[in-house]
Amino acid sequence: MEMIIAGLLDSISPASLMFVLIGVAVGVLIGAIPGINGPMAIALFIPITYYMTPLTAVGFLVGLNKGAFFGGAVSAVLLRTPGTPEAAATSWDGYPLTQQGKGEKALRMALYSSVAGDFISTIVLILIAAPLAAIALFMGPAEIFALISVALTVIAGIGTTSICRGLIAAGFGILLGLIGTEPVTALPRLTFDVYQLGSGLSLIPVAIGLLAFSEILLQVEKFTVKGGGGEHAAHVFSSKPEDRLLPFKEFFKSAKTLLRGTLIGIGVGAMPGLGAPVASFMSYDQAMKRSKHKEEFGKGRLEGIAASESANSSVVASSLIPLFVLGIPGNLAAAMLMGAFMIHGMQPGPLLFKENAQLMYGIYGSLVLASLFLLVIGRFGLRYFCKAVDIPAMILYPIVIFTCIMGAYLGKSSMFDVGVMLTFGFIGYFMRKFDYSYVAFLIGFILAPEWERALQQVVIISEHDPFMFIQRPVAMVLMGLTLFVVARTFLCSISAGRKKKQVEVAAAAAGQHKSD
Amino acid sequence: MTRIKRDAIAYLLIVGFCILMLTWAIPTYTPPYPGYGASPALVPNVSVCVMLFMACLSLIRVGVALYMKKPIVAEESEFPEDLEEGGGFTQVGRVKINHLASLIIPCVLLVVAIEYIGYMLASFAFLMILQYVIGSRKWLQSIVVSIILMVVLYIVMRYGFGVPVPGPQLFE
Repeated sequence: MEMIIAGLLDSISPASLMFVLIGVAVGVLIGAIPGINGPMAIALFIPITYYMTPLTAVGFLVGLNKGAFFGGAVSAVLLRTPGTPEAAATSWDGYPLTQQGKGEKALRMALYSSVAGDFISTIVLILIAAPLAAIALFMGPAEIFALISVALTVIAGIGTTSICRGLIAAGFGILLGLIGTEPVTALPRLTFDVYQLGSGLSLIPVAIGLLAFSEILLQVEKFTVKGGGGEHAAHVFSSKPEDRLLPFKEFFKSAKTLLRGTLIGIGVGAMPGLGAPVASFMSYDQAMKRSKHKEEFGKGRLEGIAASESANSSVVASSLIPLFVLGIPGNLAAAMLMGAFMIHGMQPGPLLFKENAQLMYGIYGSLVLASLFLLVIGRFGLRYFCKAVDIPAMILYPIVIFTCIMGAYLGKSSMFDVGVMLTFGFIGYFMRKFDYSYVAFLIGFILAPEWERALQQVVIISEHDPFMFIQRPVAMVLMGLTLFVVARTFLCSISAGRKKKQVEVAAAAAGQHKSD
Repeated sequence: MTRIKRDAIAYLLIVGFCILMLTWAIPTYTPPYPGYGASPALVPNVSVCVMLFMACLSLIRVGVALYMKKPIVAEESEFPEDLEEGGGFTQVGRVKINHLASLIIPCVLLVVAIEYIGYMLASFAFLMILQYVIGSRKWLQSIVVSIILMVVLYIVMRYGFGVPVPGPQLFE
């Protein structure tokens, strides 16, 4: 109890409050800019957190992520260009409302749904993470090794259409994650006699390069090669109160949808590998199927916004469940937060509750405060954040590129890290162009040392007994699950390919029949 | 070049990389087995073998499709607008080398120049070039943006975090 009170008091210290508030405000601002999302913002801002205490650092990054999730809705509603992928479903009903002059109303609905979904999800996280972590403490190295194997195979399917390319990316990430000092012999491994690689590749330049720099390379390409940047916000807000305000009665009409969306978001977020876009689309689909006014979806129905925003925002907190309980990041944002924990000398996982209980309750406090700050900042600053979508690309892109370079330098005050960032920006550009999952790469890179440590422990404890996994039932089930996931994904991709071909053949035959 | 050919080249490069890692890099730059635990080369070898196996599998799939002259179904990509039909095969997300070079080269030059001419001059020149590459032709705006950004980041790094900016300093 003392720990809980001390942790909560830490979270309301002036420094912590200030950084959570700044995190939320900056997150909304950044999320509102099309093309910049939560994980990218975390990657850009992690170097700054070097100079913060662990609680303020995590509070700031969590606030940033929560803010960015809502910020994505701003450009989705005003431009039909979702700032984040998960906000795509929000644009389907949000943009038609903007065209009707009800953009502010749509944004208010998005804000209240985001805050409600996020708040409920945070409460669920608080209630279940610690008890689950207590159970997870009984897991040994064999189970941890098997669990990371499952996570890596599940995550290999994210961000690519091919499991083969996903596994190649994950394997590459693991390989690069192993560069540095080998844990058993304490001798350098795969450093190619480059002394800067002795402590391994730093997460910060790798993440900034892969997430932010490569994304900006692509966006600049779209802008310059294809002549983009012509989009301007259609946010001529109506002055009529009925078009601007969202009465409680009107909001309450969507309560059922909002609650359903939140539950979907919590479920999806708690499972590694799915992520907010899946939750958002699933919730929207369910809301449409169960509505009596299906025909109004996509034409400016507030319920559609509530479904999408409640689901994607509730993923933010629930994706921390696998991270806090098992030490496995469920999505990219959680992977970046895991990196932030590690930078501050903490290893996310069940032991975190035992070794840093006060900090964990402080983080819980910061999570709740971030939801409240989002409500306040969104409520009073909505009109100002809308201006972020109009920042000219010619000013924005140089700022982001220069921030990437200086952010990579900031971590160790080393130009070598800037070189690493540029290299990974280059690699990330090709990975995106060639459809290799940079998500699988990054999660493989982060989890590789832990995976190897668990394997070393298994081998040493079992004295090279190859049947170690069979003797541990949970580990055996998890290893079986790994094989099942790989086999199922292969079979699914083969059958999906066959179905597509059949549809194409049928369509071609129908076309031939018509022309005859 | 069609997408399938480009993918095949990528898989071949991955196979080459994996062979290089397995035959030269991992044996040369991995510590010897200490006599207990797993070999330090085990996990790197496993990860490279996974990459090699998946690349070979994909190559076989591409090879069979080319041999049978069966079109591979167009896979969705991050850039669907780039999709172009090409005899059943598709081009997805073509690499624009000129564009890439126009952005990467100034960045590399910045890294080199900053060590010689210092943060202020190098970053000012870099930001001016970058804005020109992106398409800005308003010189006054470019100069103002460059100076503001350079000064703000200098103040944040120097006085906010106490980190010395890279390279020789103009006023020291």
